[in-house]
Formats: sequence, C-alpha cells, structure tokens
Amino acid sequence: MKKVLLTVLLVALLSVALFAEKTITVAAGAVGIELELARQAAAEFEALFPGVKVNVLDTPDMVQDRLGLYLQFFEAKSDKVDVYQIDVIWPGDLAQHFVDLYQYGAYDYAPNHFPAIVENNTVDGKLIGIPWFTDAGVLYYRTDLLEKYGYDHPPATWDELEEMAEVVMAGEKKNNPDFWGFVFQGNAYEGLTCDALEWIASNDGGSIVNRNQEVTIANENAVEILDKVASWIGTISPEGVLAMDEEGARQAWQAGNALFMRNWPYAYALGNADDSAIKGKFDVSVLPAGKGGSAATLGGWQLAVSKYSKDPALAAQVAFFMANYDHQKARAMQSYNPTIKTLYEDPEVLEAVPFFGSLYDVFINAVARPSTASAPNYNEVSTLFFKAVHKIISGDSNDTMATLEELALDISDVTGFEPVFE
Amino acid sequence: MKRATKKKIKKVLFWFVVIFVFVYLIFPFYWALNSSFKTENQLMMTPATFIPRDTQGNFAPTFDNYKSVFTNPTFLRAILNSTLVGGITTLLSLIIGSFSAFALGKLRFKGKRLFLYLVLSMTMFPQVTVLAGLYAVINTLNMSATLSMILSYMIFTLPFTTWVLTAFFKELPVEIMQSAQVDGATAFQTFYHILMPLTAPAMVTTGLLAFIAAWNEYLFALTFTSIETQARTIPVAISLFTGQIARQEPFGEIMAGAVIVTIPVVVLVLIFQKKIVAGLTAGAVKG
Amino acid sequence: MGKTPKGNILKNEQSLAYKLLIPTLVVLAIVAIYPLGQVVVTSFTNRVFASNQETKFVGFDNYARLLGVTFKVLEPKTDKNSGEIIKDEKTGAIVYESSISVLPRTPNRYKELFQFNWFGKRIVVGARDREFLVAVGNTLVFTVFSVLLETIIGLFLALVVNSNFKGKGLMRTTMLIPWAVITVVSARIWEWMLQPGTAGFFNMIMFRLGLSDGQASFLTNSALQMPTMVAVDVWKTAPYMALLILAGLQMIPKELYEASEVDGASKIRQFFQITLPLLKPSLAVALIFRTLDALRVFDVFQVLMSSKMYSMASYNYFQLIQNRNMGLSSAVGMIIFILIGIFSIIYIRSFGVDQS
Repeated sequence: MKKVLLTVLLVALLSVALFAEKTITVAAGAVGIELELARQAAAEFEALFPGVKVNVLDTPDMVQDRLGLYLQFFEAKSDKVDVYQIDVIWPGDLAQHFVDLYQYGAYDYAPNHFPAIVENNTVDGKLIGIPWFTDAGVLYYRTDLLEKYGYDHPPATWDELEEMAEVVMAGEKKNNPDFWGFVFQGNAYEGLTCDALEWIASNDGGSIVNRNQEVTIANENAVEILDKVASWIGTISPEGVLAMDEEGARQAWQAGNALFMRNWPYAYALGNADDSAIKGKFDVSVLPAGKGGSAATLGGWQLAVSKYSKDPALAAQVAFFMANYDHQKARAMQSYNPTIKTLYEDPEVLEAVPFFGSLYDVFINAVARPSTASAPNYNEVSTLFFKAVHKIISGDSNDTMATLEELALDISDVTGFEPVFE
Repeated sequence: MKRATKKKIKKVLFWFVVIFVFVYLIFPFYWALNSSFKTENQLMMTPATFIPRDTQGNFAPTFDNYKSVFTNPTFLRAILNSTLVGGITTLLSLIIGSFSAFALGKLRFKGKRLFLYLVLSMTMFPQVTVLAGLYAVINTLNMSATLSMILSYMIFTLPFTTWVLTAFFKELPVEIMQSAQVDGATAFQTFYHILMPLTAPAMVTTGLLAFIAAWNEYLFALTFTSIETQARTIPVAISLFTGQIARQEPFGEIMAGAVIVTIPVVVLVLIFQKKIVAGLTAGAVKG
Repeated sequence: MGKTPKGNILKNEQSLAYKLLIPTLVVLAIVAIYPLGQVVVTSFTNRVFASNQETKFVGFDNYARLLGVTFKVLEPKTDKNSGEIIKDEKTGAIVYESSISVLPRTPNRYKELFQFNWFGKRIVVGARDREFLVAVGNTLVFTVFSVLLETIIGLFLALVVNSNFKGKGLMRTTMLIPWAVITVVSARIWEWMLQPGTAGFFNMIMFRLGLSDGQASFLTNSALQMPTMVAVDVWKTAPYMALLILAGLQMIPKELYEASEVDGASKIRQFFQITLPLLKPSLAVALIFRTLDALRVFDVFQVLMSSKMYSMASYNYFQLIQNRNMGLSSAVGMIIFILIGIFSIIYIRSFGVDQS
C-alpha cells in the first residue's frame, strides 16, 4: 500500500516538474542477461514516467577497465552519467562523487536490504549506494567424488578439506593428470584479497584493519593459515592457481578437474549447463572454518547517484526503482543474488533457484572487506595486501611473519593507522 | 668438410629456420581459429584438442560463436568505425607527415634538428600518462568521439610517418631533384610528380603500419567512446563481448571476432599492396 | 646591393619548409601541448586523480620517492656469547643481519632492492619505491631482448620475402597475420595458449610428447615470466620490423646486386657490403621506433601480468587507477620520457640519422 501511495506521489510531483524530456543515463554492466534486465527496468520506468528517458550504458565487465572509465568521468566532473553501478568496495573510496541517498528518500528502502551491505555502503552517515545484487564466496564440491571415496559431507574445516583433497587426488590423478584438489583465486588481484580474507577471518586472524583504526594483519593466526595455503600449492592445488582468477578456476572446475572450488555463486548455473562435464555432480556449501567460524567475503554491486548529475532527485528515483523488490525478483530468477531479505523466502524464487535457500545464511554472515574502514585508500591497501599474500603463498617469502609485519607497516604508511604487532 | 655437404647443411639449416619462423608466426592464429569453433565446455577440455572435438573424440565444430558475433550490431558497426578512424588517421598522417618529411629530408633551413626532436618527443610518453589530459581537452572542445580518436592517434602516428618518410626522402638521389629544378619545376611539382612515386614502397609501408596502430588502439578508444557508444571501435567492441552471466568470459566469441577481423585485413593488404605500389610508381620519371 | 640568386633560393627553400611544417605544428598544438604540459606540471604536485582534494605543489618529492636509493653496509650476524660470526650450517656462507634493521624507516621507508658483495663487505641497496625500480629493470631487460629478437627475425623475414625464394608469397602472408591481429586479443590468445594445465596449448604439447606432466605455469614461474613476455611481444612486433626493413630493401637498386654478382661476390658478402650499409638509415629509424614502443610497452604486461610483474607503463597505469596518485604517475611518465629521450639520442647520434 505504501509503495502505491509513494508511486502516485512521485508521478504527481514528476508530471508537474516535467515539461521537457529529461534523460537519465545509467552506467551498468555489459553482461548479456544483466543488460537485458536493466534495459527492461529502464523501459518500465519510462512507461510510468512519460517525459523521462532512461538510457542504459554498457561498460566493460573487467573491473579494472570500468573503474578507470568511471575515474575519467569523475576527473572531468562529467554530467553525462547520472547513475553508476558500483562495486561493493568502491563506496569508501569514491564517496565524494556521489550524493547521500538518505536525502532523496532512501530511508524508505534501506531497511529492506541486508544490513551488512547497507552498513558497507554508508560513509560518514551518508548512504552512497542502494544495494542492487550481492555475492559471497562459497565452496563448490563434487558430490560424486566425495561419495566415491567414502565421505558423506563437505569439509567443515580447512584441515578436513586438505585431507579429503589428498585422498581423492591420490586416486584420481592416475587417470587424469590434470586433476587437482582445490582451485581458487590465487592471482595477484582483488580476487585474492577476497579469498585471503576468508582464510584469515575464518582462522580468527581478523580482517586486516579493525574498527579502532588499527592494522591487525600481523598475527600468528594469519601466519598459520597463510602457511597452510602456501603448502597446498603444488600438492593439492596446481601451481597455476597462482595465476587463476574466477574464470580460470571455473574452467578447471567445470572441465571436471577439481574436487573443490572456491568461487562466487555465478558458477552454479553454468556448471549445470547441458554440455557441462559436471552437470548434476556437484553442490555448494559454506566455506570451511579455521579456528574461528566460516567466513565468506561480501561481493556485489550497488547503484549510486552522481553528484555531477543534472537531476540527482530523478536519478535517485531511477536507482530505487531498478533496485526494488520486483526487479530484484526478476533478476533473482536469473541467478542474480538479491539484496532484499524477504526475497529469499519467496516461493517462486526458491523454485527457480533452489540453492538460494542455503545461501541466505552465507549472505547474512558475510565479511565485508575493509573498504569503508580504510577509505579513501582501500584500493591501495588491497593492492599491498594481495601482493604480500601472493608472495607468501608462492613461496617467495622465507619468513611469513616478517612479510606480514612489513605489510602492516606499508598499510600504516598509507592510511595513517597504528600497526599492532603480536 | 666437402663444399657440397657444407652447402647442403646450410640449406637444411635455412629451411629449418624458415619452418620454425613460419610455425611461430602462424600457430597462435591457428589456435584462435580452432578455439573459435569450440563451445565453452569444449574449450575447457583437458587435454586441449587441435580441432574441435566432443567428449567422444568426434569432430564437432560449433558455429554459435560466429553466429553470435555476426548478429552483434555493436561489433559490425565497430568494424566500420575502425576502418573510418584508421583510414582517416593514416591519410592525414601520411599527407602531413610527407610534407614535413620533404622539408626535413630535402630542404635546407634552420631549426631542423629541433623540429625533428620536437616531433619525436610526442611519442615518448606512454599512453596512460596523457590520457587524463587528453580527455580534458576533448571535453572542453566538445569534440566528437571519432574526431578525438583521429587526433589522438596522430600523436603516435604522425611522428612515425614523419621520421620514416624523412629517412626515405633523404636517401633519394639529389640529381633527380636538381634536374627537375633545372627543367623549371617548382619544389612542389618535384615533390608530387617525382619524389612521391619513388618513395611509394615507403609510403605504403608507413601507411599500413600507421593504419594498424590506429586499428589496434584500445585505451583511448575505450575512454572516448564510453558515452558515444555508436562510435566504438573493434578493440572496444571485442572487450565488451561478455557471456550471459556476470564474470563469464566468452572466449570462443572473442576468438571468432578476432578471426573475422584479421582475415579480411590480410587479404586486402595482399591484394592492394602490389597494386598501390605499382600505381604510385607508374607516374615515375624513368632515366 | 641586392641578395644573391643563391640567397634567394635558400630563402625560398626556408619559407617553403616552414610552410610545410605548419600542419604538424597545428596538430601538435591541439592534441599534444595541453596533455603533455599537464603531465609535466602535475608531476610536481600531489594531485589525486578524480578527487576534490586540494592539490599542493610538492616540488621534486615524487621524483625523490621514485628514484630514491640508499646503500647500507650489512654486518654479519655474531653469536651473542662468543662474538663469533655465524655461518649457515648447510652452505657455510656467512649469515648477515636482516636488511630491515639497517634500512632507514623515517622519514621515508626504504625497502630492500638487492644485495651484493663489494670487496668483502655486504652492501644492501634500498629503494623508496622498490616496485618502480623493479619495473624499470623489467622494462629494460624486456626491451633489449625483444628488440634484438624482433630485429633478427624481422630481418630474416624481409630478406626472404625480398629474394627469389620459392615460398616467399606464403611467408609474406604469414608475416601479415600477427600484424593484423588486434593487440589486446593477441595477448588473450597467448594467455589462453599458456594456460597451466593441459587445456593450454604448450602444456598439452609437452604432455603429449612426454616432456612434462603438463602443469607448467608460465605466467607465475619467475624463470619463465620474462621469456614468455618476450615471445609474445616478438610474435606481434617482428612483422612490423620486417615490413619496415622490407621497404628499405625494396629501395636498394637491383643493379647493384647484379653488378656485384658479375664480380663474383657471395650472397653473404653482398649482404654486408651492399645491403647493410644502404639499409642503415631505414634500419636506424625502425630501431628507434621499435625501441620506443618496447620501452612504453603496456598492453601485454597489463593483460598477461597485471600486478604480478610491472613494466614502467603498466606501473604508471596502476598508480593512476588503483592508487589514484596522479602526481606520482605523472612523475613516472616524465621519467619514462627522459629515459626514452636518452635512448633516442644515443640511437640518433650513433646512426647519424639527424645529419643532413
């Protein structure tokens, strides 16, 4: 009821204000289905508000290129794009270029979304982006192989994962030299930050920077888990994992060459495609735990409104519209994880994507990268972090603690936070 | 060792090198061709296959990648855009460059060295560094995407054409020029009727290299065509090929796009290189 | 006293020359002056890319950070009680103290670049921006090997295509293919071929021939990274060289070769006495531009190596986009410019290209 009233109010307001045609440009992704859905939502908005044209712009899917592009726009203070699709780690760094959505009516919408994400998107009390869809790391495992070797459940701890991988590899490698136990994102890029954060947080090693603005990465638990991962390279994980990103890991996994994979939920639908070698032979679960509990890194995208837009109020309405219940539901049917809590109980969604039910817990408990905590330098901090982790797991560091201590000093130099040493 | 054996060994060695270079140059393209006929799951198969095969080992190419590329309007328009931008950049670089090259190669004047170095210095900066400044210029002057690409590419192609053509012009015998001057030809006539035909191979080569530099350029094109999407060039269009789901990378399609773009270029060059050179030299004065 | 006729011709030539140079200068003025000027100015500031933060003039700070190096002596570790020098149990080499304790930390941190022995002392070289200096080193090594190989292969190709060799048509076609493939796509093709695991071509071949288990990781193994990058780049650039050299070869009059054949000179002698000297100017220009391009290499490093191994230009890109440190990245651009400038001057002087 509230929604209808709000819509009517908006229509009234906007019809009065609109004599000339206004254009709102949304910079979205380039991906097939996603773009389709975005264009559909745009068309619906145009139908509701005649006199407004919503233009959906496709931008490169490669995060690096997209960020570079956005930065060029901000540097030029361009008013050509009104709504930006931003990664979950960008609100902190780019806050100064976006408006506070609470000023434009977000109080009505924000409570419907996962609190962790809303908190992530809030910088200095301002809501920078309305959550659009979310992502969290999950463990994929081969049900057929686990059964074959006598295991009846996916691993609950990293030690268990290691043991299972060793046993299955010993058996399978004879027939398939490309078979490995565990593939993940080990290349030196943001994806490694996601994976490494999961390892460290699950072993009670903290999350690089804590709320008191201290750099806590140099601790024994972090050393322990990173050394463990380093020992996997060449034994249960191929050396090539050090160059793998999401697609690289998925390629090894989907060809049937891996027992376990850490990846985002997107690989689920692809793995069950008709000509996939592993169709019907796998499932997902939460990631294994170390000393602490299981941890999954939060991913996902939000919609933010540019400060340089000619009509931020209208742009905000477009953003809220595209991120509302109905549109998130349409996307959920296509495997885009919604950010609105109630959608995880919607029977139609659960019928289309059954494993969403198990994902609810993952999303509620997801660990956010310290992007807001270390704003506006998150990118730099993340780069230092993944480089240090890559060095450790490649075996290029002969003293893990020393590398982490140097990392803490580096992060301290960049952010001004105090490093904490054990 | 006998002379005949030595000669034979040299010949074998020669052929060995020829074959090695041949395979080195052509094989990656063959691999791209091979991959373009494979589905995503065929691409993931281990070990990789030389021709597209299904899991039973039968020959099983797919044309889906080509279908999807040919029905992609952005890609098709991008081919036109790239040709347009590349063509105009090349023409302008050759014309302007040959003017300067003539002056630098054959005329006497003060400040020659300074000018040469000034022109060269334009290319001494990496592209990334000048990108932000260029984008600011383009926004201030409100240039269209196509025009901004053409002018930006000139930063790199103009010094190249100038220097290469200068070197070639310098090599040309002065006698021909002087005899033409004695005959009463103006400097410009000398340039147009005599020098240009003689440097035809240089012009064609420089033009081809300048064209391909513009054809391949990605970073500037990405930024300048971000809003004006109908002006997108091929490298940008290919980078926007995505799968159906986020993060999925349609490798087969990218390969199909690459093949579609490469083959016509090679064919055209082979056909026209001889013709262009012949055409330009036809006007040369012999003896 | 009027001007001599010769003076008039010279004056005409000069004015014609200046007129011919105007178009180039116009293009320069529009597209080059502001961006390049901005790079120079920004390199002396602490400007943040895409930010409303106030920009301050910092003088040579950025340069000092990029190029700051220090030399420190490392003392051997001594046993606390006996005062004896500690030696490594396995190799017998002297164990030195850790460089972290010796390299200065305030006001600026220096990180270890490398160590070496000098007359019995162990010296550690510390750098303020280790990654930049490593990137410079990588780029220089890459340039040397890449330009060397592409010149040799390019020369070979050009000679073959220019001769009466039977397969020259095929060679000419083959040569054009790497040249025509879009650069970013070619990097992706090679990345695909270099996959660790037998889905990648090279691993597949090695596996099938029984040479290895097919799990070689070309892009992460530090021994294989640079050779891989060179092989990928030379694939694309050898045809460039070949085309440039071919144009130069085609301008050498055939009569010279015919005359020399009559004199009984072997092909090799012909090469060194006729071809090479007459090819010098075109070879010089080709070398200048190929070296310039190699020093500015960006695409292959960004696609294949991203943050694992930087070239100067890809380091520049990451500083700008990841760290948004525009001042620093402009300084990097300036240093690249100066480095390239030095190379160019060396080339030009040795080949005498700018002589009239």
